Amino acid sequence: MKTKLVALATAAVFAAQGALAQDMVFTSWGGTTQDAQMAHWAAPFTEKGGPAVVADGPTDYGKIKAMVEAGAVSWDVVDAEYDWALQAGKAGLLEPLDFTVIDKTKLDPRFVSDFAVGSFYYSFVLGWNPANFTGDQPATLADLFDTAKFPGKRTFYKWSAPGVIEAALLADGVAPDALYPLDLDRAFAKLDTIKADIIWWEGGAQSQQLLASGEAPIGFFWNGRLAALAADGMPVGISWDQNITAADALVVPKGAANKEAAMKFIAEATSAEGQAAFAATTGYAPINLGSADLMDPAVRATLPDAQTAVQVNADMAYWAEHRDEIGNRWYAWQAQ
Amino acid sequence: MLSAIAARRRGSGLGFAMPAILLLLAFFVVPVAALLTRSVTEPEPGLQNYVTLLGNSTYARIFFNTFFVSAVVTLITVLIAFPVAWALAIMPRRWAGVIFAIILLSMWTNLLARTYAWMVLLQQTGLINRSLMALGLIDAPLQLTNNLVGVTIGMVYIMLPFMILPLMGVIKKIDPAILQAAALCGATKAQALWRVLVPLAAPGIASGALMVFVMSLGYYVTPSLLGGTANMMLAELIAQQVQSLLNWGMGGAAAFVLLVVTLGLYAVQLRFFEPGEGR
Amino acid sequence: MLLDFNKLGAWKWALSGICALMALFLLLPILFIVALSFGSSRWLIFPPPGWTLKWYEELFADPRWLGAALTSAKIGVIVMVLSVALGLLASLALVRGKFRGRAVLRAFFLTPMVLPVVIVAVALYAAFLRLGINGTLPGFVIAHLIVALPFAIITITGALETFDPAIEDAAILCGASPWEARLRVTLPGIRHGLFSAAIFSFLISWDEVVLAIFMASPSLQTLPVKVWTTLRQDLTPVIAAASTLLVALTVILMIAAALIRKGKSE
Repeated sequence: MKTKLVALATAAVFAAQGALAQDMVFTSWGGTTQDAQMAHWAAPFTEKGGPAVVADGPTDYGKIKAMVEAGAVSWDVVDAEYDWALQAGKAGLLEPLDFTVIDKTKLDPRFVSDFAVGSFYYSFVLGWNPANFTGDQPATLADLFDTAKFPGKRTFYKWSAPGVIEAALLADGVAPDALYPLDLDRAFAKLDTIKADIIWWEGGAQSQQLLASGEAPIGFFWNGRLAALAADGMPVGISWDQNITAADALVVPKGAANKEAAMKFIAEATSAEGQAAFAATTGYAPINLGSADLMDPAVRATLPDAQTAVQVNADMAYWAEHRDEIGNRWYAWQAQ
Repeated sequence: MLSAIAARRRGSGLGFAMPAILLLLAFFVVPVAALLTRSVTEPEPGLQNYVTLLGNSTYARIFFNTFFVSAVVTLITVLIAFPVAWALAIMPRRWAGVIFAIILLSMWTNLLARTYAWMVLLQQTGLINRSLMALGLIDAPLQLTNNLVGVTIGMVYIMLPFMILPLMGVIKKIDPAILQAAALCGATKAQALWRVLVPLAAPGIASGALMVFVMSLGYYVTPSLLGGTANMMLAELIAQQVQSLLNWGMGGAAAFVLLVVTLGLYAVQLRFFEPGEGR
Repeated sequence: MLLDFNKLGAWKWALSGICALMALFLLLPILFIVALSFGSSRWLIFPPPGWTLKWYEELFADPRWLGAALTSAKIGVIVMVLSVALGLLASLALVRGKFRGRAVLRAFFLTPMVLPVVIVAVALYAAFLRLGINGTLPGFVIAHLIVALPFAIITITGALETFDPAIEDAAILCGASPWEARLRVTLPGIRHGLFSAAIFSFLISWDEVVLAIFMASPSLQTLPVKVWTTLRQDLTPVIAAASTLLVALTVILMIAAALIRKGKSE
């Protein structure tokens, strides 16, 4: 009896391992974003003969580091922040991407690097609730920092990431081409002028709640979040003036079990079709240059794609280099 | 005879604690020690993580916040929980049952969902401020989030059951005759409360307060959503270092300092409140 | 007098008032969540512009919610049983034992509570990767047991300290074996403590998210992880709907239990 049980258990373990060896694991942040990624990237990938894709998550950098250190990596493709991806690539946590499988000629060069390609990109934009401002409506980043002209709480992304520091410098009059290297002293001095009026948002959903309820009538948001509010019938003001781009990246942790399948998956995810379908569902912009032609012009108009003329690109390489230093100062400043 | 009993009771010695000790040694002490060791080896061998941590006024402030917020939360929790636990212990059973059910219900709902609910309720445009204004009690909305008020409300909400339940058990077991004796000796109600009931309930208050205080030290989701960055707790800083910046050396150093300070406080508490081991 | 509700006089009303206020305080966010689950506003606008059942439809359309809830319940129950068992034994040693270093041991049992969970999570995850038990049910249970155990120990220790060991001695004098005395005298005497320990242990596991994120695998997701990712990403009232269903289920179970008790006593 006992040996039978052991045999059964062993068989079960092997069966599980067999399944793991075949299936590919894709990790992202969960919620509707990951659902869309599964629907528009994973499903076609499997249909075209690729292995089944299992969704895991949420993305956790600590987990990736521990996996790589232990040499037991269970995630094959991970959706991560782009600046983190560049830094992690340098730190040896990621596999170099195989560009014989992934066709980088079709991809937006802003979001291609040795260890990471864009998953999608988005812009930080000025948004406001028109119900709270009767006269002039905000238009520029300077207005975002002008509490005399536009009084009330303003909401900003809480975590140390490309976006808010750039906005402070631009609002202070720094020219877009002179942003880098970032003058942190100047940025924090500018942020200090409105610090008492800042409410931080920790996740996209919270930013929407703050704006919709009027708790923070003005703020700096991910464009897709404002588009979703508008699509739901909420009155929302959006100014694309000096919208600041940031991106998520697709990466393969070092030592991933299904490296080959992972590269093919990324090729599928960054294809013109995959990117177009995902962008239409989520309001994020595609990083494949061919996607625009596949999309409904009405949808395209709401994406950062259509706003490149007034766009400022956050320098991901600079961020990757200085991520720790900026992060430490950022959190210290917040806590003061 | 009594020594014979003592001998027979000797079974409940260290051996009883062994399963728990072994579990913690294997799955807590060894892994955590391995991680904390990194605080002196990463990014390079030495004590620089501790030098940074202890020599920086921001970190000092975050340490202070952590202990201050935890102390405020513990104090308010005790002040609310004591009368409630007392009432629950002696109320007619039907009413006690209803209140008890409400306490359990409040714990059953997901912590993050409860915190978000409080966040929306307490906002300047939230239900509470609007109700108070509609009632004419206030003219302008009160600032109830992103400050100490918000953290305290959110944390006390979570911690109350952890204080009430143990305390209720302790009060239930107090012999009413002792309080009758106090009354017979001429003690007023207030005297009986302070000199008899509270001291008799002290073990329950102590264990509940210990649980609430220590639990609060390690919390950050609720403080961060309701307290704003000015009330940043150490656990949030540690989570930043460990999960976002992957700076396990610094995260480990901060955790180690928190551990040492907390255990130090605990030692002080033991010395003052429970003198002598061989009680 | 202070322990006889009917002889409290004016204090009776003060105590009742405090209880009522606290009950209101505890109920407020829950009632708010219930109301939001029927509100039509995705952005938690209150009062909502209209009422709807669509969040419940979304909830039932996604089988992952139920799966996650069942996984959480399963892990929570196992953790509860183990935590109370180990916690009781450890507490007996701490309170009744006569060995040296009990105060140190007490502090030792407390440490998993002091360290921020993320430290425990990273450390355990790294260890589990090497042992190959990451993403498995035993791994999950061990992780939650580590953080639940201090709660059981503190609660049971507190209860044992107010329980007079002389009563156990009396039972032994009357011929009971030490184990019999413990099982039939001490355990019933500290049942409130055991009950609290069980509730706390279950709820620590049920509501724990940081360890859960590290211990989860595609086939092993708990409810807090699902709530966490959904709230951060979408803030959808589906979470309110899920919470409401849990609250409703609990209320039904509680009423049923009360009715059964009433039936028995009559």
